[in-house]
Amino acid sequence: MTSTLESPSVAPASRAPRPPRRRRRLGAERRRAAYLMLAPSVIHLIWWIGLPVVATFGLAFTNYDVIAGTIEWAGLDNFREIFADDIWNLSIWHTVVFTFFTVPVAMAIAVVIAVLLNQRIKALAWYRAAFFMPHITATVAIALVWMWMFEPNLGLFNLLLDRVGVNGPAWLSDPDWAMPAVILVSIWKGIGLKMLIYLAALQNIPHDLYEAADIDGASSARKFFAITLPLLKPATFFVFIVSMIDAFQVFDQVYVLTPDGGPANSTTVMTYEIYRTAFGEFDISAACAQSVVLFAFLLVLTVIGRRLTGKDGDEA
Amino acid sequence: MKRKFDARWVLHLLLGLGGLIMIVPFVWMILTSLKSRADIAAYPPQLLPTEWVWSNYQAALDYAPFGTYFRNSLLIAIGHTAINLMLATMAGYALARVPFRGRTVVFMAILAMMMIPTYTKIVPQYLIAKGMPFFGGNDYLGRGGYGWLDSWWVLIIPGALTPFAIFLFRQFYLSLPRELEEAARIDGMGEFGIFARVMTPLVKPAIATVALVTFENSWNNFLWPLLVTTRDDLRVIQVGLAAFQLAERTEWSYLMAGSTLATVPMIVLFLFAQRYFVQGFATAGIK
Repeated sequence: MTSTLESPSVAPASRAPRPPRRRRRLGAERRRAAYLMLAPSVIHLIWWIGLPVVATFGLAFTNYDVIAGTIEWAGLDNFREIFADDIWNLSIWHTVVFTFFTVPVAMAIAVVIAVLLNQRIKALAWYRAAFFMPHITATVAIALVWMWMFEPNLGLFNLLLDRVGVNGPAWLSDPDWAMPAVILVSIWKGIGLKMLIYLAALQNIPHDLYEAADIDGASSARKFFAITLPLLKPATFFVFIVSMIDAFQVFDQVYVLTPDGGPANSTTVMTYEIYRTAFGEFDISAACAQSVVLFAFLLVLTVIGRRLTGKDGDEA
Repeated sequence: MKRKFDARWVLHLLLGLGGLIMIVPFVWMILTSLKSRADIAAYPPQLLPTEWVWSNYQAALDYAPFGTYFRNSLLIAIGHTAINLMLATMAGYALARVPFRGRTVVFMAILAMMMIPTYTKIVPQYLIAKGMPFFGGNDYLGRGGYGWLDSWWVLIIPGALTPFAIFLFRQFYLSLPRELEEAARIDGMGEFGIFARVMTPLVKPAIATVALVTFENSWNNFLWPLLVTTRDDLRVIQVGLAAFQLAERTEWSYLMAGSTLATVPMIVLFLFAQRYFVQGFATAGIK
C-alpha cells in the first residue's frame, strides 16, 4: 500500500500542458465536488469525535454540574479527587493485571497457531474460522455462555473438575477466581484477531529464505527463531499495540460476567469506573479526568511499544 | 516421505484440538438452548439433550421481546452499513483523487481519529446526544429535555461513520489508474459521475469489507446502546440479553436460546463471507 501513496503527486508533471484557464476552471470545479463529497464526513467526524475528544480534556479540568448546568475552572482538583479514591486506584491495578496476563498469553498462542496454519493444508479455512469465531461474535452473548460454563454447581468447568476429583471454585462469585475467569474468557476471545494479523504477516515472508535455510540444514526450530520471529517484528508491534489498547479498554465481558465490579470489587477495571462515575454518580468532570488518565496510559504504552519493537511497525 | 506424512497428521491433530476448544462454548450454548429443565439439572450431566426442546426458543421469545431486540439490532446495523458506505466512499474518493489545499491535513486528522480510544470520547458524546437542540423537549440551547436519548437518532447517527472506512476507501481509490478518470472526463463526465459510475464499481472488494466489518461491529455493539436507551422497545439484542440475564438469572436454556439468536447471524455471515472478513480485519486490526 505504501507505493500507491505517491502516485497522484508524481503524475501531473509528465502530462502535456493545457491552456491554463481551462485547467484552473476544471480544478476549481473538481475541488468544489471534492468539498461537497467530504463535507458530510468532516462534519460528522468533527461533531462526534473531534468535539468529544476536546471536551474530555477540557471537562477534566473543570467542575461541571450536569443538573444545574454550571461549569467552573477546577485545575487539578478532579485528578486529586480520583486518585484519593481507593477503588479507582484498585481498578488501575486490575487493568494492568488483566492486560499483563491477557495480551502476552493470547499473543503467544496466536503466533503458534498462525505458524501452524501457514502451511499448505486442507481445511485451512475451517480451522481459521474456528479460531476467529470468538472475535466476530458478540461479547455480551458469548460472556453469557461462559457465565453458564462457570456456574458453580451445573457449569461445564466444575462438572469436568468434579470428574477428576477436584472441587471447583465458585469462579465468578469468588474474589480470588473472578479475575482469572475474566482473563480466560478474554484470552479465548482475543486469539482470533491476533492470529489473523500474524497469518497475514507470515504470508508475506518470502519463501526462498526458508529454502536457503534448508540448504544450510537448519532445523524447524532454528528456522522459526532465526527467520520467522525476526520477520514478524513489525506484525508483533502492531498486534501488541492493538491488543494493549483493547485490553486497557475491556468492558463488555467484565460488565456482564461480574456485574458491579465483581465480588468485593475484585474485577473492577478503569473503564468500569469511568462508566460508574459518569453514569452512576453523574460526576462528569471526574469521569473525564479518569478518561484522561486512561488515555495517558495508552499513549505511554504505544510509545514504549514502538521503542521495544523498532520504528517501522505501522505496516503490518 | 513417511516423516512428512506424520508431520501433517500431527499438524491436523493440533489444529483440530485447538479449534475444538475454541468452538466448545458455541456448541455448549446451542446444546443448552435445546435442553429441558430436568436435563440441565441432571446429575451426572448429559452431553446431548434427552429430548430436544425446540420450544425453548418460543418460550424465550415469550419471556422477553427478543423479536423486537433482534429487529432493532438489524435495522441499526443496516443503517450504519448504508450510511458508512455512502459517506466514506465519497470522502475516500475526494481524498484520493482530487488535489486540493489541506488534503494532507484532513487525511492526517482522519488517521489520528482512527486511533482515538472509545473512552476518550464517550462521555461527551453522551452529553452531545443529550443536549441536542430542539429534540426530546430541549430548547434551542439543548437544555431542559432529553435530546436524542431514547431515540432512533442516537442509535444510528453517532456510530454511522468510521474513520477506518474512509481510510480504507482512500487506499483503494488511490490504487486505480489515472487513465480511467481522464477518459471519462474527456467524455464529458462530471466528478460525481466519475466517482459513482467509473471508480466506485472498481472498489467492490473494499465495499464488501467495509460493509461486513461495519455490520458486525454494529450488531455486536453494547456500550453505546446501553448508555443511550432505557426504553424496552428501543433495546438492541445485546442490551436486551444483558437485561434478561439480570432479571432471570437461572433460566439457562432461555438465556442460551437468546445468546444463540444474538450470535448465529454473525456466524452465518462470517462463514459465507470469510474472505472479506479476513481481509478487513487483517488490514484494520482496530475495532
